[in-house]
Amino acid sequence: MITRVSDNMKFDLLNNSMSGIQLQYNDLMEKLSTQKQVNRPSDDPLGMGKILDYRSALAQITNYKGNIDSSKSWLSSVESNLSHVSDILTSIKSTAISQASATASASTRQIAADSLQPLIDEIRSLANTKFGNRYFFSGTRTDTEPFSETASAVSRIDTPVAATGNTFDGTVTSGGAYTGTANKTYAVKIITGGTLAASTYQISADGGKTWGAVQTNLSAPVTIGDGIQLTFTAGATNPVSNDIFYVHAYAPGYYNGNGEELSSEVSNGVTINYSITGEEVFTNQGKGTVDIFKVLDDLKTALVNNDANGITSQLDLLDQAGAQISRYVGQCGTRTNGLDASSSALDDMNTRLTSLKSNIEDADVAKLATEFQMKQLALEATYKMAGDLGSMSIIGFLK
Amino acid sequence: MGDIGRVLNTARDAILANLTALNVTGSNVANVNTPGYSRLRPDFGSIGVFNTSSDQQQVGVKIISIERLYNKYLDAQVVQQEPNGAYSQAQLDVLNNVESIFNESTGGGINDLLSQFWSAWSQLSANPSGMTERDYLVSVSQSLASTFRQRANDLLKIQNDTNNQISDAVTQLNGYLDQMADLNDKIVQVEIAGGNAASMRDQRTELLRKIGQLVQVNYYEEANGALNVYISNGRSLVEGSNVWKLGVQTNPNNSNYYDVVFQDTPTVAINDKLQGGKLAGLIDARDAQVGGYLNDLDKMAAAIISNVNAQHSSGYDLNGNVGGNFFSLAGIYPPVAASGNTYAGTVTAGGSYTGTKHKTYEVQIVAPGALGVATYKVSSDGGNTWGSVQTMPANGNITLGEGINFTFTAGTFAANDTFSVNATYPAAIMQVDPGIVADVAKIAASATVNKDGDNAGLIAAIQNDSSLMGGGLTIDNYYESLVSKIGQNIADAKNNNDQQTAILNQMESQREAVSGVSLDEEMMNMIKYEAAYNAAGRLIGVINTMMGTLINLGIETSISS
Repeated sequence: MITRVSDNMKFDLLNNSMSGIQLQYNDLMEKLSTQKQVNRPSDDPLGMGKILDYRSALAQITNYKGNIDSSKSWLSSVESNLSHVSDILTSIKSTAISQASATASASTRQIAADSLQPLIDEIRSLANTKFGNRYFFSGTRTDTEPFSETASAVSRIDTPVAATGNTFDGTVTSGGAYTGTANKTYAVKIITGGTLAASTYQISADGGKTWGAVQTNLSAPVTIGDGIQLTFTAGATNPVSNDIFYVHAYAPGYYNGNGEELSSEVSNGVTINYSITGEEVFTNQGKGTVDIFKVLDDLKTALVNNDANGITSQLDLLDQAGAQISRYVGQCGTRTNGLDASSSALDDMNTRLTSLKSNIEDADVAKLATEFQMKQLALEATYKMAGDLGSMSIIGFLK
Repeated sequence: MGDIGRVLNTARDAILANLTALNVTGSNVANVNTPGYSRLRPDFGSIGVFNTSSDQQQVGVKIISIERLYNKYLDAQVVQQEPNGAYSQAQLDVLNNVESIFNESTGGGINDLLSQFWSAWSQLSANPSGMTERDYLVSVSQSLASTFRQRANDLLKIQNDTNNQISDAVTQLNGYLDQMADLNDKIVQVEIAGGNAASMRDQRTELLRKIGQLVQVNYYEEANGALNVYISNGRSLVEGSNVWKLGVQTNPNNSNYYDVVFQDTPTVAINDKLQGGKLAGLIDARDAQVGGYLNDLDKMAAAIISNVNAQHSSGYDLNGNVGGNFFSLAGIYPPVAASGNTYAGTVTAGGSYTGTKHKTYEVQIVAPGALGVATYKVSSDGGNTWGSVQTMPANGNITLGEGINFTFTAGTFAANDTFSVNATYPAAIMQVDPGIVADVAKIAASATVNKDGDNAGLIAAIQNDSSLMGGGLTIDNYYESLVSKIGQNIADAKNNNDQQTAILNQMESQREAVSGVSLDEEMMNMIKYEAAYNAAGRLIGVINTMMGTLINLGIETSISS
């Protein structure tokens, strides 16, 4: 309880309340002009943390939607290509049926064979389409054209490739015969370097994802698996740790890609495989059951040779081929539907998060405007008091 | 004549006393705006008693003393309250700078850049052979790294500025202590001689308040009027006219920032004995708060660098090579070989600095020789103290400590060859590996030597990994809680400051109620003394007339007929 008022007290009191009101006034002005409730972390520390969290989540949603969109365009092109292939196969099948019957003759069969080749070429060109600079149907070997014109009768092993960053400058050659039934990429990685005899290394049978036990001695030919042999010849520089060599091995057939699908992240922790490999759609390796190009080549040979039995035996396989293609056309549709569902779920989340963020961050302009008016009144009243203060003194009343 | 004389003397005393009283009023009015001024009040007292035949009469008046109106307990309250407000104010000043660095409300800060960074990896995984995606990733990564560097360096600068402010505040305090000793001396001398040292005491109380703003002090007054001032651990700052000054001492275990010490015991830090006031506020802001934020920023940078690098090096780039480092090594500058060294090989630093302060490590050769033969010792404080002597291994790989290692190529060492390396906050020198910047094909997006994008996908998934920062927080969450923490610290400091200021104002009002000058009151006093003066003057006039009558008794007056 103040029992006596001194001059300093009067002025200090007025000063302090004036500063206080001015601070609040300024604060309201700032909020009105930025339209935001939270203009700095100290305005609402917990709220600021949540705002940042929402922003992060919203950015992630935008990212996922972008991934979904590019996966969808990939899938839609694949679906349209496969539909074309399916249509061509249907027309080939009807030709085959008619040429298998007794009413056909050698000359009709020859004509049919001649008209078959362009269709085979078209199917192959559809199978070899690119999306940007990546082949659709090569699996993860997106820089390699998936289907050759002629089949290789035996398995092949490519010349081994030394990665460009290797220190080892000797040579490595491949040998042996590949016994696998699907295309694969093998890799050899140097663990500790040194002379060829002293180096230790690991082998991977899946292109570098997983590695086997550490082994030693590269001076003699190394069997790395499935019948593939690698022979290292020393150069001027020894191999060092992380030098890597890989070799592609192919099963007999037309296909040059592999069976690995490309994947993309479409939601938190959810990745989908969006690509369809040539192996499963067009070949009988891996998940595929029918070697479509072989069936068509065999059909053509049978037509050229006027071999009715040969033509008949391809009819069943043509059915299976058509079914295999249709199955994957359906898959494209299924995957696209899944992506659409993810996309609309993301849209919902987007709306929800935006509204949550706005609740914390955005200012209620109407409410602020009212408070602003009130503060203005309070400030005016304080100013008037300050103005009168000087004249409220007994001095004015003496004499 | 005696009685009249007595009345004259009484009147004279009254005039003089009221004149003095008016003087005192004048002094109060003149000092209405002097800070710390305690108003003076003249004590009128009557002098002497005159025995008349029937009773006693009090005659005369004198100003017995001029009383300085103050309440020493209210003064003490104010002095004790000062450090609390000053502590929060000092923190608030430092933290406001921090807030402007971390103001994420407008966007474009680390929160946004982190989102872009993780998105860039995700987009790369959807098109691993794409050059556009790789260029974009490098550009975003460089922005992220440069923002981390900027934030860390801004925080370091704030720490440095605060450090200098501490030194300035200590100098200021020492100045006040000198003034205090001086005032003590003067007050004692004046009061021994019987004089009135009111204005010097007022000055001394003001000085106490200023000292209290810098550091929390206790004080007591000795019998001779000297004030002894001491800090919370009992050590004196001022005793009479003796002063024990404070100083600053660099602390190599705290990035060479200052500790506060007594000048006569420079090895004993008294940081935690300051208990309040601006010095303690600045020290806590520098070490606990800004230092804490730097450590948090580092933890994030180190987590990003080490996790991205680890995942990156288990993938393959566009040419089938195993991925190298995506970010350059964390927190370690290139090592420096002293110019006088005989060793002709090269030394490279490796690893990731796990320490929490800026440090300089040194390696010095003890016994000369080649790799495998020479011996060396390691210092973690720039060469002040050394570890035990060890033998240089044949592969030239030695560990210095806290995650730093050196690799020496073949060569011969001479005794005393020295190599130093600065280890600093990883965030302060975070950058994308120059090899990646030069050739974006080296970004290891694939998990196999073929062209899949799975490794980039795994790196993008680090964003959602909640095991990295402890407490179930992802890296993004950790940053959010850092910003939240900064906001909370500032809000707390503001609230505390407001509260302490309100308390101080309250106490000052109480003090003012006793010691403050009220012009209205002084005006009334002036009227009072003026009236008394006039009355005494009138009395003199009356006496004069009466004396005239007396004197003129017996003088024949010419009667004019």
